Order: sequence, then structure tokens, then C-alpha cells
Amino acid sequence: MTLAMNAVQVLLLVLLAPLVHGVISRLKARIQNRRGASVWRPYADLLKLFRKEDLVPASASFVFRLAPIVLFAATLVVAAFVPLLYGSALLGATGDFVLLVYLLALARFFLMLGAMDGGSSFGGMGASREALVSTLAEAPFLLALMSVAIVARTASIAGMVQWTMGQNFFQFSAVHALAFVALVLVAIAETGRIPVDNPTTHLELTMIHEAMVLEYSGPSLALIEWASAIKLTVVMTLLIALFVPWGMASSLSAVAIAIASIVLLLKMAALVLALAVVESSVAKLRMYLVPDFLGVASALAILAVVFTALMR
Amino acid sequence: MTQMAFNSFLVVMLAVPVVTLISRQWTKARALPAVLLMGSLGVGIAVAAAGFWRGQRFTVDVAQVASFSFALSVDRLSAFFLLLICSVSLPVILFSSSYIPRHYAGARRHWLWVLLPLFLLSMVLVVTASTPFAFLFGWELMTLFSAGLILIDGDSEQRRHNIFIYLLMMHAGAAAVIGAFLLFLPHASNFAQMRASATLMPPPLRTAVFLLAFAGFGTKAGIVPLHLWLPRAHPIAPSPVSALMSGVMLKTAVYGLVRFAFNFLGGGPSWWGYLVLLAGGVSGLLGVLYAIGEHDLKRLLAYHSVENIGIIYLGLGAALVFTANHAPVRAALALTAALLHCLNHAIFKSLLFLGAGAISDAAHTLDLEELGGLQKRMPLTGTMFLIACCSIVGLPLFNGFVSEWLTFRSFLAASEMTNLSAAIVLPLAAGVLALIGGLAAACFAKVYGVAFLGRPRSREAGSANEVSLPMQAGMGALATACVVIGIFPGLVLRSLGTLTEELLPGALLPPAATSLSSVLPWIALFVLVLVAGIAAFKRAKSLTATWACGLPGLDDRMQYTSTAFSKPLRKVFSQVYKADRTLEVVPGDPPYFPASISYRSVRTTSFEKFLYRPSVDAIVTVALRLRQLQTGNIQIYLLYIFAALIALLMFMRWA
Amino acid sequence: MGMGLFETAAAKALASSGVFLFMTVLLIAAAKRISTCIALFSVQSLIITAQIIAVSRMHHSAEGFVIAGLVLTVKVVAIPYVLYRIVEELKVPRDVLSSTSSSQSVFIAAGLILLSFFAVRPYAAVLGGDQAMLAAAVALVLTGGLLMVSRKKALMQVIGLLVLDNGIFLAALSTTFGMPLVIEIGIVFDLLMGVFLMGLFVFRIRDTFDHLDVSKLRRLRG
Repeated sequence: MTLAMNAVQVLLLVLLAPLVHGVISRLKARIQNRRGASVWRPYADLLKLFRKEDLVPASASFVFRLAPIVLFAATLVVAAFVPLLYGSALLGATGDFVLLVYLLALARFFLMLGAMDGGSSFGGMGASREALVSTLAEAPFLLALMSVAIVARTASIAGMVQWTMGQNFFQFSAVHALAFVALVLVAIAETGRIPVDNPTTHLELTMIHEAMVLEYSGPSLALIEWASAIKLTVVMTLLIALFVPWGMASSLSAVAIAIASIVLLLKMAALVLALAVVESSVAKLRMYLVPDFLGVASALAILAVVFTALMR
Repeated sequence: MTQMAFNSFLVVMLAVPVVTLISRQWTKARALPAVLLMGSLGVGIAVAAAGFWRGQRFTVDVAQVASFSFALSVDRLSAFFLLLICSVSLPVILFSSSYIPRHYAGARRHWLWVLLPLFLLSMVLVVTASTPFAFLFGWELMTLFSAGLILIDGDSEQRRHNIFIYLLMMHAGAAAVIGAFLLFLPHASNFAQMRASATLMPPPLRTAVFLLAFAGFGTKAGIVPLHLWLPRAHPIAPSPVSALMSGVMLKTAVYGLVRFAFNFLGGGPSWWGYLVLLAGGVSGLLGVLYAIGEHDLKRLLAYHSVENIGIIYLGLGAALVFTANHAPVRAALALTAALLHCLNHAIFKSLLFLGAGAISDAAHTLDLEELGGLQKRMPLTGTMFLIACCSIVGLPLFNGFVSEWLTFRSFLAASEMTNLSAAIVLPLAAGVLALIGGLAAACFAKVYGVAFLGRPRSREAGSANEVSLPMQAGMGALATACVVIGIFPGLVLRSLGTLTEELLPGALLPPAATSLSSVLPWIALFVLVLVAGIAAFKRAKSLTATWACGLPGLDDRMQYTSTAFSKPLRKVFSQVYKADRTLEVVPGDPPYFPASISYRSVRTTSFEKFLYRPSVDAIVTVALRLRQLQTGNIQIYLLYIFAALIALLMFMRWA
Repeated sequence: MGMGLFETAAAKALASSGVFLFMTVLLIAAAKRISTCIALFSVQSLIITAQIIAVSRMHHSAEGFVIAGLVLTVKVVAIPYVLYRIVEELKVPRDVLSSTSSSQSVFIAAGLILLSFFAVRPYAAVLGGDQAMLAAAVALVLTGGLLMVSRKKALMQVIGLLVLDNGIFLAALSTTFGMPLVIEIGIVFDLLMGVFLMGLFVFRIRDTFDHLDVSKLRRLRG
């Protein structure tokens, strides 16, 4: 029964990820005084891309077509780590936060290789910039998750969620506050949103993630787009599950699950709104200011880890 | 029975050089040295496996025949390192059986086959020695034979300078190790007695032993700031020898430190652990930062060895801190992580160097800026190099991830300790390890992407062909080991746990350590099914040209180079890469159009500028001053002698 | 019942107000615009006002409420409003002109927070639960100093001084029960006067030199 619930959670995450993308785009459009496309547009895009054929550069090797598949597979495995509605996930108990961070690194590594296999300057440029951002984002990511793990005395994601659920909502812990801000900054860098990277830009010189996928088309591009949507959704649900998990079902009854779904919808709506507002009001950072941005995240994460020992 | 196997293993290894020299003239017996060596290494693997997995012990004691303090004894720790040496050397020798005939002819080939087994034998001697004399004998021979192997590749002025620096630093390290052994000497004459005599030593003496061992083995292992010889010696050796030096020889230094710190001294005050931790963190960071700035493949890989030794030292430092704080279970976790990383690094670093050898064989250059598109021309080599890259970056489903995961878990375990400094410093070290991992990922995305992907940047790279079968087989064996240990780490972890339990009294490998082995196979299966499923689905593809913004034809030079790829990171960490840049513009007739522009950027590492140069200059100055004692006047010399006599008389009377 | 929930929620929130103050310290070190710093100073003063009210309720002192009202009007409303108006009228570039980059400032601020924690440790037995509050106070003092030293815009010197004063005030609050009413009123009006004077001078500096960079105002040498 728990297994079925966990499988359903993963399926929900994967299938609803493009919808999250669509809602964000629509909200941004409304804030910017445009009408915006329908929220179901990403699904139509994916269907269209899956029906087309792959255009592969003649000089590319098998890595070019393998990279999107590995990216999608690794992101899918990461989606199995995060509890959505119920306090457990498919890999929530055995998968710990180190495995999560490094699975995302696996996905990113292959994306960088795929970009370089295209053989164009843009691929190399995107890969080089992505290398910069992901290198500097990995340490605060791990340290922030580690500080939460130290406080919860467990390394598994599901364990951390269950510990937080047992805490009192009004008892703000300095460690969690610092880790939350650090993770938000890292999440912006990892998912490539403004102010680190503009996911809707058309100017190649401002691209990081888009430059890496310029050569891709057809089903490969569909897999990459879907994987990036899943990654955004997973990161958002991870933030919700680790820091504000109250409302999750503690038993497998239909009523509890229904309440949990509504609560999750409200939390996601709040996050999506915040994301859309920030993206519409803040300018993208110049690339050499991104290390500064991630340096702030690192300082907060280090402080969070030190506080776990001081506030005992 | 296995004792006899061990003896025969040693004898056959000794016999290979002899056989090589005898069969010099017979062209039919070309492959004989290689086959013989591989056979003896196979026996060595079996012996070491029996010692490591089943705990059997072997001894060879020369004292039975002659009164000489030379004995070998294989306990579990020695068996582990013996297994490391033999199982990594076997594929390397398989690779060399085809590589050496293609690149070396005549006398040089014979000398290679003479020195290689002797080099391997000296490393075996080091890890199995049970008396100081045997250990130091093997230690010095390792240096000499490896220098000889480097010399075979050519002896130009620059190479001899680098070999000189190598020999110099190795001897300095050996002097420190000899000093460490000497401090034991009046009380203990073989390893079994050293543990007992160490407990009787006063703490300042134990500290002196530890510091000498740390300095001596650190020089050999290549921690910063004693790493200067590594990027000079490893790149100029023949590729299989580089693989052995980087993959195996550095681990003998780790073996030495583990023997001294855990077996002889049984741990010490926690500042020892913090010192090792600091050395590990600095080496890891600086090693990978220097590697990012390199575009000669072998120099880059040499700097990565510095980085991985740093990671091993992080684990060892954590283990020492835990031992000092009476937490043997956590110490076992950290020590297992460090030892497993030794094995993993040996496997994937040798694979990387063999891959470099294959590249130089096929494309005749190791400059990353001249390579490209090799994956299409050398599919098998490329795939195995990709596996090695994934392993060294520490991605899941490959072996590098398992040891890094264990190191992270041991740092996490430190947070529960009551000692405040340990609970703060060790989790922060996890951040340093994460940064090192991120930088390594960036560096190897650059290496694999620039060398193997995209389009060839030079004619040689464009005409590269797949290497011969033995070379592929050697690399394939190592790549398989990377993947197998990565998906089924339990194979090695359980016996490693028993090993650490023997080394640290009261230790027990915590069950959390093996939780990874229960989840990794499932993830691997899932990823495999998904990849196979999607790959079977996507059929339709058509070939086009790379998009060039609509302009006709893309030049092969219009791709990102290795220098360009690493520029953002080098700019962010610019404090580390203080380059001397000179730009000369020769103005032409109308001054706006220069006749020539030359740009020169020289990177000397800060250590050479601020540590080595000043110390060398200081020593030379002191030596020049001391020269004044050498007057050449025989009466002054007689005066020296009588002055010493008078001083002795006074000392005996009044002291 | 509802009142009880609100009370407990308020009590717990106040108990962790030290956390909020640390966040404002880090954010003010990372801030890149003057208006952000002013807003953060206002938030800090608001938190301190809440703290005063909580302490006054505990000790049942009317004086405390008067001080709280004073701090509210002057530090949360009046001074920030005056500073905003000055920034608007000045028409100089609104960035903070720091001599250290954003992440370096945050690292330094984090170090200062840790330093204040370690400095307060010996008094842990006496203070009990108020340890975080005193540590936050010391951190505010040090951060005020950081702002004054590393920010080159003349207006930032004032803001640094204000933050520093916040810290001293909080320190007095957490150790003893605040300072006597007369002294409080005196300090607050001193601050108000200082801000007005600074406002006047800032216009003079801008008109004479056409910039507000204090690192360039070095003609006062012998």
C-alpha cells in the first residue's frame, strides 16, 4: 500500500511538472501585462517534439543522443526521493541527501557533455558557464542539506521530513532559517531561473542552460525540457517538504490524502507566485556576479552548519 | 599451500628480468616477459585475495638462512595493498604488452621489461615488509627504478632536470622516514614489536615520530606543499609507468602513513588529525584548481592525483580525530572510506593514464587543444575513458562515488560528538569535499568534452584509429572494475570493514555504511531499463550539419578550447593562478596597425615562487658561507682536529 | 482559546526573535542599495520594539511601554522616513558603494555573528535563555561597525551608527531591564538630531564635491 502511494507520488511529480512550468509562464505573462499562453501549452510542446525526428550533427558521437536519456533517467530517480503527500517516498528512506545531490550532478555532467558533442561554440560556452555555476552551487547545496540532516539526526530525506513534522511550527530554528535561505539561493542557481539564468532568453550571449540545448531537436529536446521541468518541481517540493511539511498525510486514509493534496496545492501556489513575482521584477545578474550570489549562499550554509553545533 | 604460492610469486617476479635479458635475441620470445609477468601477477592476486578476504597470513624470513633483518609478512592491511598493486598492475602490463613494442625498440624495450617487474617487486616489498630494513630497501628501490623507467623515455636537459628534482625530493622524504624508524630502533627491530614499544614512548617522542612519518610519507604521496615533483615526474614517464606511479606508487605512501599512525602509534592527540585534515583539504583544493588550468593531459592527470590524495587524507584525518575522541565506530567509517578511495583511485587513475597512452598512440599528441572528435574514431577507448571520467568525478553508479559517499557520511557522523571543535570542523570539511567534487566535475567535463567530443581540431586527431586489442583489453578490465565496484560496493566493503576492525581496537563498521549497497543496484537496474527502453523507442534520426547561424561551413577551430572552457573558473579563483603576463606590441608604420603582437603568459605556482625559491636560495647562501671553512691550508685542518680533541676533553671533564 | 493560541505563538516567535535579528544582520551585509539597508534597519527596530513590549508585560512596567512607543515612532517610522526622503532628494546613484563584494561582506558578517556567540558563552549560566539575545546585540554592534568601515557612501555611516545604537540598546535590554527612561529619551533625541544634521551635511557634500564617496574626502590632512 505504501509502495503504491510512493509510486503514485513519483508519477504525480513527473506528469504534473510541465503544468507547473505552464502556470509560471502564465503568471509571469499576466504580471507583465500580457495575456500569456495556456497553462497546458508545455504538454502540447512535448507531444509535438516527441512526434518529430531527431536531427543529429554528423560529427556527433553516441554521447549526443545518450545525454538527454541519462539526464531524464537521473532526474526521474531524484523525483523518487521527495515525499509529496505522504511522509515517505519510493527512495526516501534509503536514499540520502548526498545521493540526491550527486544524482543531480550526474544529470548535469551528461548535459554538459552532450552540449560539447554538438560541436558548436554555443555548446561549449553553455557547458563552460554551467560548469562555473554548478561548481559553486554544489558546496552550499550539500552544506545546507547537511545542516538540516544534523539537526534531524538522520540522513534520509523522508527521515528529515518526518522529524520536521514533529516539531512545533512557531519554534523557529536559526539553523532551518539559514538553511532555507541558502537552499532558495541554490535552487535558483540549480534550476537556472532569474537572477542566475534566464530560461526564456533568445540572446545566445545571455544563455547558460539554453545554450547547451541549442543543437537538440525532436524527442531528445522533449526529454531535456521535461527533465528540466521535473527538476524545478522536485526542487520546489523538496523545499516545501523539508521546511514546511505540516499538512502531509500521516495515514493512508482517503480524507488525509485529500487534505494533504489541497495543502500541497496551496503551498505550491504560494511558491509559484513568489517565483513569478521575483522573475518579473529582478534583473538577471551579470555572469561574473553569480559567484558573488553563490558566495552569499555558501556563507549562509556554513553558518547553518556551525549553528547546529552551537545551538545544541 | 598459499605460502608456497606467495614464495613462487616473488621468485617468478625476480625471474622476469633475467628471462628478458636471456631471451633478448630470440624474436619468437618477444611476448615472453609480458606473459610471465602477467602470470606472476595473477598468482599475486590470488595470494592477496586469500590474505584479504580470508585473513590468511604469510611470512618470508631471511633470518632463517642468514642473520639479516629482512623479513616479509602479509597481514590483512598488507594483503589489501598487495591486492591493489597486483590487480591494477595486471591490466597495465596487458596494455604495455602491446604499447611498448609499438613505441620502443631494441635496448630501450629490453630495459623496460627489466625495470618494470623490478619496480613492481619493490612496491610489493614495501607493503609486505615487516622489518624497517626491508621497508626502506624497497622504498629506495621504488624511487630508483621509477627514475630509471622515466629515463628510458629520453634524457634531454629538461627531462634530466625534472628527474633530478624527483630524486631529490624522494630522498628528502626517505630521510624523514628513516628518521621515524630510527626513533623506534633501540626497542623494536621488527613491525610486530613496534606497537608495544610505542606505548612506552613519552608523548614528545611519539609526536616526533608522527611528524617525521607525516613529512616523509607526505612527500611521497604528494600533498601540498610537497607536491612539486608530481607534475614534473609523472607526465614525462611512459604512459604505463605513469599509470603505475600515479595509481599504485602513491598508495604505498598512504600505506606507510596508515601503518605508522594506526598500527604502530595507535592514534594520538586530535591535533594530528586536524593536521592531516588540513593537508588533505588544501591538497584537494589546490590540486584540482591547478589541474583546471592545464591543457597537457598528463600534467592535468598528475595534478588530479594530488587532489585525490587530498581526499584520502581527509578521510585519514577524520579517522585520527575520531580515534583521539574515543569514537572507534566512526573512526572505522572514516578509515574504510580512505582505504576504499585508495583502491578506487588506483583503478580509475590507471585507466585514465592508459587512456592517455592510447590517445598518444593514436593521435601522437597529448595537448588537449589539438584533440577532438576522438570518440567517433576510437569508440571503445572513448567509452572506457568516459567511465573513468565519471568515476573520478564521483558520479553515482561508479566506484568513485562510493568512497566519497562514505567520507561524507563519516563527516556527518562527527556532528553527534560532544567535542565542539570536532563537531564544527568535520562537517565543514564536507563542504570542502563538495567543492573539490564540483571542481573535478568541471575539469573532466572539459577533458572529455574537448578531447573526445565535437570535431577534431588537428589533422592527427582526425586520422586517429582505434588501438590494438591488448590495449583495449587492459583498459576494459579496469573499466569493468570501476562499474562493478560502483554498483556492488558490498563486495569490497565487508572485508574492508574487517580490516579496519583489526586496525582500530573496538571498532565496528556501522550498518549505515552498507546501506548504500542495498540501494545502488536497484537504481542501476532502473536507470538501465529506462535508458534501454527510451533508446529502443527513439528510432528516427537524420544527420545534419551543426547549426552555424546560417553561415556556410563551421571551421573545426570554432569550438571551445580547453583554455576557454576553464576561463570562468580560473577568473573566479584568480588568487591561485598568479600568471605573469607580458604583452608586446611592435608598432608599424602607421602606428594604428602593429607590425607584430606577442602575448606570453607564464604560470608558476605560488609554491615555487614563495616557498621553494627562497629556501633554496637561503640554503645556497649558507653553504657559500660555510665554504670559508675550506681554507686549503693543512695546518688549519690540523688545528680543527686538535680543537675537537680539546673540546672533547673539556666536555668529558665538566659534563 | 484563540487568545491562548495567539499568546503561545507570540511567545514562541519572540523567543526566536534572535534568529530574525541574525537574518537582518546577514541581509544588511549583503544589501546593495541604500533603501534596502534603511528598510532592514526599520525591521530591526520593529523586532526590538516587540521585544520591549514582551519584557514590559513580564515585569508589568508602564515605563517600558512608553519607551516602546518612543522607539516605534522614532526608529521605525520617523528616522527611516527622513532617510528615504534624503535619498530621494539627493539624486546620487543609489548603490551602497562597498569596498568588499557582497559575498565577502556576508562572510565577514557570519564571522562576526560567530564571534559574538563565542564572546557571550562565558555568561551562559547567568543569562540562561537570553543568551541568543545578547549575542544578537553584540552582533548588531559589530555589524554597525562593519557598515561604517566598509561602506563608502556618507549616508551609510549614519545607518551604521543607527544599527550600532540598536545593538547597544538591545544589550542593555537583555542584561538589565533597559536603561532609565530619561536616558532613553535622551539617546533617542540625540539620534534624531544626528540624522537631521547628517541630512544637511550630505547635501552640502554633494553640492561641493558632486559625489558622496567618503574615501575621496581626504583633504583634511596636514
